Amino acid sequence: MRIPGVAIITSALGSLIERPFRTALTMLGIIFGVIAVFVSLSLGEGGKERIRENLDSVSARTISISPNWTGRSSRQRPWRPFTENDLLEIQSLNGVYAATGGLDSTYTVVSEASDWSTNVRGIDTSYLKAQELVMDRGIPISDFEIQAKSAVAVIGSSAARSLFPNQDPVGQRVKIENIPFRIIGLTKEKGGESWRGRDEDNFILIPRTTGRARLFGDHRLARQQVRSITIVGENQGVLKQIEDDIDRIMRRSRGLTPDEPPDYRIFNFSANRQAFADTMRTVSLVILALGGVSLIVGGVGVMNIMLANVTERTREIGLRKALGARRSDILLQFLTEAILLTVISGIIGLILGYFISQTVADMDQMKIKYSWTVIMLAFGASFVTGIISGFIPAFNASRLDPVEALRNE
Amino acid sequence: MAGPLISVRNATRIYGKGEARVAALDGVSFDIYPGEFVAIIGASGSGKSTLMNLLGALDKPTDGEITISGQALSKRSQRQLADFRNKIVGFVFQQFQLMPRKSALKNVMMPLQFRRPRFSDEKERATQRLNDVGLGDRMDHKPTQLSGGQQQRVAIARALVGEPEILLADEPTGALDSKTSEDIMALLHQLNDNGQTVIIITHDPEVADAAKRVITLRDGKIISDQTRDMAA
Repeated sequence: MRIPGVAIITSALGSLIERPFRTALTMLGIIFGVIAVFVSLSLGEGGKERIRENLDSVSARTISISPNWTGRSSRQRPWRPFTENDLLEIQSLNGVYAATGGLDSTYTVVSEASDWSTNVRGIDTSYLKAQELVMDRGIPISDFEIQAKSAVAVIGSSAARSLFPNQDPVGQRVKIENIPFRIIGLTKEKGGESWRGRDEDNFILIPRTTGRARLFGDHRLARQQVRSITIVGENQGVLKQIEDDIDRIMRRSRGLTPDEPPDYRIFNFSANRQAFADTMRTVSLVILALGGVSLIVGGVGVMNIMLANVTERTREIGLRKALGARRSDILLQFLTEAILLTVISGIIGLILGYFISQTVADMDQMKIKYSWTVIMLAFGASFVTGIISGFIPAFNASRLDPVEALRNE
Repeated sequence: MAGPLISVRNATRIYGKGEARVAALDGVSFDIYPGEFVAIIGASGSGKSTLMNLLGALDKPTDGEITISGQALSKRSQRQLADFRNKIVGFVFQQFQLMPRKSALKNVMMPLQFRRPRFSDEKERATQRLNDVGLGDRMDHKPTQLSGGQQQRVAIARALVGEPEILLADEPTGALDSKTSEDIMALLHQLNDNGQTVIIITHDPEVADAAKRVITLRDGKIISDQTRDMAA
């Protein structure tokens, strides 16, 4: 049995292979176009998916506040930390899932096996909840240790790996600034890096009170200081209200008049994340536009080459007509060639685009999503380009007068 | 005798418009019956190429009518003319007009791809035709690997593969040396002996002499139409 169309495609393929250099050059523009369309759509889809996944995760519901000492230039204000009282007020707000405040600083921590520079955080009991940390082994820091100002610590998994290679850290001792701490717990790996690229498991947690008394010292302007406060809302919807409430509490607590600029900064991660997503969308739109332009330019190239093809093969067209080819046969023949040219370019572009977007994703920790929709879109774009740019040359070919065409030298 | 295979009535073909009007063919009438071997001869500009284009349905007359195999060509659409060229006429050209990158077999098979409905045994038919013209052992050769005479044989096989009612040859020996020309003419006669209607367009009286009937054109008109007894 004869499969219709196969012969047309084989013969079109043959005529493309007969002119390999020209075919390859013509394909370049389309290949670039399809790469750009595919990569930008994949990045865009990946970005969307990432936002969807994270919309209700703890980190997307997080607000942090930190003291800020850049006031009006005319009147420099001293840097003032927050107090435990501020934290208590925030914890009692409506819609707050968890709020934690503490102090932190980076120290070189010494174990028997090794030493390691890590972030030492003085925390309260809300910290694990607000940071979505769970214990792997041992026990968390409790009110008892905080009250007693005990020299105990809970260690993050990557700090543990560095300080206690191939050992169980729980029960071991470390020295921070020569003060010995007993490790009572190990947190479960949070995995990877934060969206800002920080290792999320490199830390040592100690009771806030212990830290204040023996490590960080207490601030002269604010007894019972906490350096930064992290608040997790119950859901995305309450974040704005919480932000307003915090502003009110802080202004009162820090004695600011309503027209004075704040000396603290409220940092809403979800807003930041949204901005990040918007930037990514803009970037992928720009790439998409570039891809579109490249496809158009490539399409013009294909049209150009097909017009040259038709002129060059005028006699062949005349011969085919003399042998009984209908106009539609000629039209189909040249249209098939143009479409084949762009579709093969499209396939090459998809393959290259896959590798390129993989590389980009690996480099920038971006999420890439491949979907059939994206593949079909990029492929369809190349197919449509073939039809559009192939039609006029093919139509011209089909209208050639066979007598004239056969006479052509 | 049956009716004519080709009936040309007052066929006129005018090129150009207004002052530049030129009648390449001016009111020509004749009939050709099945099985004839006709040579149409004339000098350059006599209208013989125009007549060939009309007989091959590559062109339509400006005035008059050509009826081939019962079909009045002036009333046919482009598509019907294409199908007509495929089924009724087999063309042989002076310059062979073979596809240079395709094998002899592929060249011969070419017209079959335009046949509707298509034959299921295209390859067998093409092979058979190549055997008929004595090139059964050269089927996979490309035109560049064949001599001029062999190339014209491939072209004849291609013209015959669709089993046309008319074999229409335009200066078939024009590009060949005299020895090869004789071979090609012998092949055409052999085909005619087997019942194939053959029309040759030529400017060469020697080639025309080999035909049973010679129609002579000058300035777009028939000046003589002679049938001779070949047995003599």
